[in-house]
Amino acid sequence: MAAVAAIYPPLKQLNAEVLGISTDSVYSHKVFKEISPSARKVQYPLVSDRNHRISRAYRVLDEDAGASFRATVIVSPEGTIAAKVIYPREVGRNSYELLRMLQGIQYGRETNQGVPANWVPGMPGIARRTEDIGRI
Amino acid sequence: MKPHETKTQLHVNHIDPCPLPFCATRDDLAPLFTADVFFRGEIHTINLEDFKEKWKILFFYASDFTFV
Repeated sequence: MAAVAAIYPPLKQLNAEVLGISTDSVYSHKVFKEISPSARKVQYPLVSDRNHRISRAYRVLDEDAGASFRATVIVSPEGTIAAKVIYPREVGRNSYELLRMLQGIQYGRETNQGVPANWVPGMPGIARRTEDIGRI
Repeated sequence: MKPHETKTQLHVNHIDPCPLPFCATRDDLAPLFTADVFFRGEIHTINLEDFKEKWKILFFYASDFTFV
């Protein structure tokens, strides 16, 4: 929660908006924001998915628990799902990877180049040249 | 009870070969929604379409007051 809050300014610069979503009520979100030191840092809206419809529609609902999976979905300005990551029960998110994914998607769109494994901003992309097939 | 305790692992040959139902996966149209949010000390209602020109990061978590 605080980890995503830490990358909120760069996400805003990339023309992204963040929505935190759980099946808790907005009343729970309010008290959570007031008393939890990490939630206090959260600058983005906390969505109440109290009827589970959003989590179910995005296929990230744990039906037994009545709670969402820990999952991150990136939706493009055109309204399509660009990425979806479901995390393990035990492990928290890597917010830097989330930021890198969005930077990589945008870099790929702007340059029409391939964005290689472990790419970070500042590194070159890979030109899509037919003659390079089998050579990289 | 954890999901793996109640389910049976299937071989790929036994998975239904029919076209998949909506899976909310990559390149699918993101489901639209209207919901209550808590934001800047107030309760508001938002639509996903309010952020039409933007990238949207939907950050699902299990529960308030737990490790996220």
